[in-house]
Amino acid sequence: MTIVPDTLYGAVLLSVIDFGLSFVMIAGIGIVLALFPLLNRLGKIDEKELRKGGH
Amino acid sequence: MQDQLIVFLEAMYAQTGLAYFSWGNLIMIAIGATMIYLAMVKKYEPLLLVGIGFSCIISNVPASALGSELVQANGLFHYAYQGVALLIIPPLIFFGVGAMTDFAPMIANPKLVILGAAAHLGIFVALIGAKVLGFSLAEAGAIGIIGGADGPMAIFVTVKLAPHLLPQISVAAYSYMALMPLIQPPVMKLLTSREERLIRMKQSRHVTRLEKVAFPVVIGVIVNLFFPPVAPLITMLMLGNLFREVLVVDRLAKTAANDLMNVIIICLTVAIGSTMSADTFLTIDTLEIVALGLVAFVFGTGSGVVGAKVMNLFLTEKINPLLGSAGIASVPIAARVSHIVALKEDKENYLIYHAMGPNLAGVFGTAISGGIMLALLGVK
Repeated sequence: MTIVPDTLYGAVLLSVIDFGLSFVMIAGIGIVLALFPLLNRLGKIDEKELRKGGH
Repeated sequence: MQDQLIVFLEAMYAQTGLAYFSWGNLIMIAIGATMIYLAMVKKYEPLLLVGIGFSCIISNVPASALGSELVQANGLFHYAYQGVALLIIPPLIFFGVGAMTDFAPMIANPKLVILGAAAHLGIFVALIGAKVLGFSLAEAGAIGIIGGADGPMAIFVTVKLAPHLLPQISVAAYSYMALMPLIQPPVMKLLTSREERLIRMKQSRHVTRLEKVAFPVVIGVIVNLFFPPVAPLITMLMLGNLFREVLVVDRLAKTAANDLMNVIIICLTVAIGSTMSADTFLTIDTLEIVALGLVAFVFGTGSGVVGAKVMNLFLTEKINPLLGSAGIASVPIAARVSHIVALKEDKENYLIYHAMGPNLAGVFGTAISGGIMLALLGVK
């Protein structure tokens, strides 16, 4: 079901909500990525070992 | 005898394409030839433009095998187009792109990720413009997504919102993506000073293998959780990237990035080009969509650059605003344009690695915009 009306007002409304939410969501992904260096505390992957058993 | 010969020749003539040629066909053939010229001489995305240009030319030769009903209903070109229309090709393209792409620039510099949203103003300018021109809201949304400069996503959203506009929108999206080296630089130069274009970026941190492996898994979960309408594309992008980064399935990663991708590109370009026949393409609607696509690309490029300049107001370590336009997606074309424009000012200012961050974020930005749009328009 369409939430926004099929009018010019609906187009503006859709645009404002979509553009605003896109910023919020992308910023969220940015925050998650900023935490990625913490993963390195879990350990290190031995790339040579991985390549050895690769297919 | 003479009369019979004339009748025979007339019958022969009626069976050739010459009898059905129109000015529209000639215009479209000229457009196809221009695409091949741009690919060969200007090197504008030859992988896309050669196939699209050739199929455009052939599909405008009346009575050609490509245009005949028999082939349209059964042949290779029909099934190539069905691959697009049934949303099989777009996720496979993302799969190949994922297998080719190193997401380290995006992981290394998360603050640039926001440019992936900033550079999408064009989507909404085109959407509102399309509504003003009389398109329905669903059609306007599909037209707007051209501004995301992401071919597979444009196809995906269009099939969901306005499948009857698929030929026009896919052609506009891919043509403008290929023409970004022409469209973006004037806008980028207009909105930046020479001093800003000369800003050099600090070297990014090293991204470990563990982070690279975690990235597709984490993003795959986030996208499926928050944006189910566009999850098939991003999921395949992340699967391809996981194949690349785990290092234990090199064969699969190489196949996805090379052989499979090449086959998909052939199918895609032929499918898009074959929809460019004059009778369906040379309409007022198409001209409006093409014009709105250009508006979307210009505004997207501009808003990305302005977004980067706004960020500089708050950052102690300034970023080069040319990175902003890379947020428009179209990997890696937009990043390459940022790099080339910067190089023209300073031959040692290599922006490509840094520009790939917002460029890759732009893929997610377009997916998020498309996902929100589909959700707000009640499409699953």
